[in-house]
Amino acid sequence: MVVCGALVVPPWSSVYTPQDLSNRLVALDFGNGTAYAGLQMLEGAVPRQAIRTCSFDTSPAKRYTALMAGEFEATVLQEPWITVAEKAGCRLVSTTFFYGSWVADATVDADTYAAFIRASTAAVGRINADKRRYLPYFTREYQGYSEVDALTPDDFNLGRIQVKAPEPIPEADARWDWEWMSSWGLLRGAFEAEAQLNAAVQQAAHTGLQGIAALATSSCRSE
Amino acid sequence: MLKTMVIEPVRAFNGLDVLVARDEGLFAAAGLDLQFARPQPNDLRSTAEGTLANPVTNQGRLLERGEARMFQG
Repeated sequence: MVVCGALVVPPWSSVYTPQDLSNRLVALDFGNGTAYAGLQMLEGAVPRQAIRTCSFDTSPAKRYTALMAGEFEATVLQEPWITVAEKAGCRLVSTTFFYGSWVADATVDADTYAAFIRASTAAVGRINADKRRYLPYFTREYQGYSEVDALTPDDFNLGRIQVKAPEPIPEADARWDWEWMSSWGLLRGAFEAEAQLNAAVQQAAHTGLQGIAALATSSCRSE
Repeated sequence: MLKTMVIEPVRAFNGLDVLVARDEGLFAAAGLDLQFARPQPNDLRSTAEGTLANPVTNQGRLLERGEARMFQG
């Protein structure tokens, strides 16, 4: 799955570019991918020492409400709250996409994971054939929020909804992620590919090979 | 016979394909009985409790307890 994250400011903000967020407070849900996407959008625009952040709730609904209440100057949102924010006149000063990665325990065998991939891949085909048909998935999770209930399919930018058939994670990508997280002090030690990626199971599952025994000791990640 | 696998819950923004595959019978067609684990109320901590250096996340909690075998990170 490809996730869209947007760095959003309220309509009255004097911020028009990511650079304008230098030394301004940005609320992030640390521990989730959206927070790290937010950091990457910020560090692409301003020096790290000029990035000011605070921890805020996992719920994009709460982050949006607090943004509009002026509790901070920007936050990162995902759908359907990006669309809610746009409809309310907020500006998206930066938008990015990132992969969600599946993390598996050692009991997931290649046959099971292959079945998971086959189903996911079939779903990706259906979604890409008619994204509009699947928009209710984004809104029904927030049923009862008046801003979401007011959305119509025409409000959505379908280009922000991207799905892709799962693929094995390239080792170089995993290494880059590890080193980036380490550079923020979130991980310690050197990247060890064998500890993070089970190449045999990934390969077997993605190529449809059968009969691979359960993962021995390491976990399996796949995008 | 379907194989059963329990995973941590997903939302549309990060797991639309999984939700669609479940609702449209694609997991069953692939030979998989995919189920979502049910977090307990006290499993759900707010990320507001964490910091950049010490984040709080709910991701992976059910896997660590053996109640799910995969999660979306």
